[in-house]
Amino acid sequence: MTECVLEFDRVAIHLGGREILSPTSVRVERGEFVCIIGPSGCGKTTLLRAAAGFVAPSSGQVTRRGQPITGPSREVAFVFQDYGRALLPWRTVARNVALALEAARVPAAEQSAHIERVLATVGLGAHAHKFPAQLSGGMQQRVQIARCLAQAPELMMMDEPFGALDAMTRESLQDELARLVREQGLTVLFVTHDLEEAIYLGDRVLALRANPTPEQPSLAALIEVPLPKPRSQLATKEHPEFLRLRRELYQYLGH
Amino acid sequence: MIRWLRPFVFPALLLVALEIWARTVGAGSDAVAPPSAALRAFAAALVDGSLLAATAFTLGSAALGLLVGGGLGVALGTLLGLSPRASRLGFVSVELLRPVPSVALIPLAMLVFGFGLRMEISVVAFACLWPMAMLTQAAAQQVEPRLLEVARALQMNAWQRFAWIVGPAMVPRLFVALRLGVAIALVVAVTVEIAANPNGMGYAMMIAQQGLDPALMLAWLLWIGVVGFAINAAATWVQQRVARRMGEGRP
Repeated sequence: MTECVLEFDRVAIHLGGREILSPTSVRVERGEFVCIIGPSGCGKTTLLRAAAGFVAPSSGQVTRRGQPITGPSREVAFVFQDYGRALLPWRTVARNVALALEAARVPAAEQSAHIERVLATVGLGAHAHKFPAQLSGGMQQRVQIARCLAQAPELMMMDEPFGALDAMTRESLQDELARLVREQGLTVLFVTHDLEEAIYLGDRVLALRANPTPEQPSLAALIEVPLPKPRSQLATKEHPEFLRLRRELYQYLGH
Repeated sequence: MIRWLRPFVFPALLLVALEIWARTVGAGSDAVAPPSAALRAFAAALVDGSLLAATAFTLGSAALGLLVGGGLGVALGTLLGLSPRASRLGFVSVELLRPVPSVALIPLAMLVFGFGLRMEISVVAFACLWPMAMLTQAAAQQVEPRLLEVARALQMNAWQRFAWIVGPAMVPRLFVALRLGVAIALVVAVTVEIAANPNGMGYAMMIAQQGLDPALMLAWLLWIGVVGFAINAAATWVQQRVARRMGEGRP
């Protein structure tokens, strides 16, 4: 049985008098990995921020388990693209993760075990006492993901989380994220401008269009990705279905 | 060893030049004394205890004034920085009071407090308050917006947001404010003593000047310079220690 975790009901967003997102309706099921792609300025980040409660839609509503979203919630974790700014530079890796536990009022005695487990999950067990500035970009983003995992979220929102990383680091973090999602049954909304990343990670890919009109609404396509899992960087990306999806979605990236 | 001494070469040369000049061309001058005479006057002041007493008075009142003015300044700046409403309400008052030169307050402070410690503290505190409030306000307003979103995402209340995010994020800029405050406090304390208050290093220097004792005057001048240098070095050291504890400057 599937269970709807998040529902966009004719959500439209205007910014500065311009319609960024025309009315869009999508349902996200529990355990699903939905990737959102589209050209710059198509409102994909705005859609994600509305789902996380950072901005209110101009019309329509987003509901989580049937309840309208009125603001951010600790049950929804948000991974920002600019990990360097989203981490507290004055706190060590472990204390950055602790922030999520402190906010959730987890008793101090239970925190260290939590932190250790989460850091081990993202492969940072040996770096707990370093400061963010001592880590590479990929490791800093792992810290942010660890902090989000510590929230034990129902939903994970990721806004181009690997966009600023080099290709090698990006691929290894993609595989790690896929493993985390598999092991922990996470539900993920993942914004990216990288078509291959979207197909590689997603169960479904949602393509948005810039400058929507009544004839051409924001929601350009919503496509299932029937590729077998676990996926592999080599085999999956050479799969005929992968190539077919890539060809099909290519047009929606403003080409 | 040699490398460590290098920065002192120029000041040493300057002192030697002054010594030669004061013993030849400027001999008998009422304004300039050779550094060797200043050193003797310094030793005499050290022995009779006047050096220590005057230094303690000036540093004590500068420190207390900085504590009062800096404390109020940081509190006011935080309030103005975090609350747009307070900033709007207080704008005119702050802009009217801020440009008043602190030494222009000396006559008023003298009337209210008479001579002595309290009068000097009040002028120092006034002088430190405004620049520290302005820098603190900027610090509170310039917290990385992404961190404030992290605070929102974790549903922090106002107190948690301040204690965990805004407060620590302000610390580096608060140290800039503190170092500025330290410099201002010493300058204003000595100024008050020269202009009005019959206590401390500034007054001692004035007395030496009026007693036509250029050696003692020069001794005080150099000593005030050394004290200022030492205090600034101490403030820098504390700043660097805190910055290291907060994760800055690590490889």
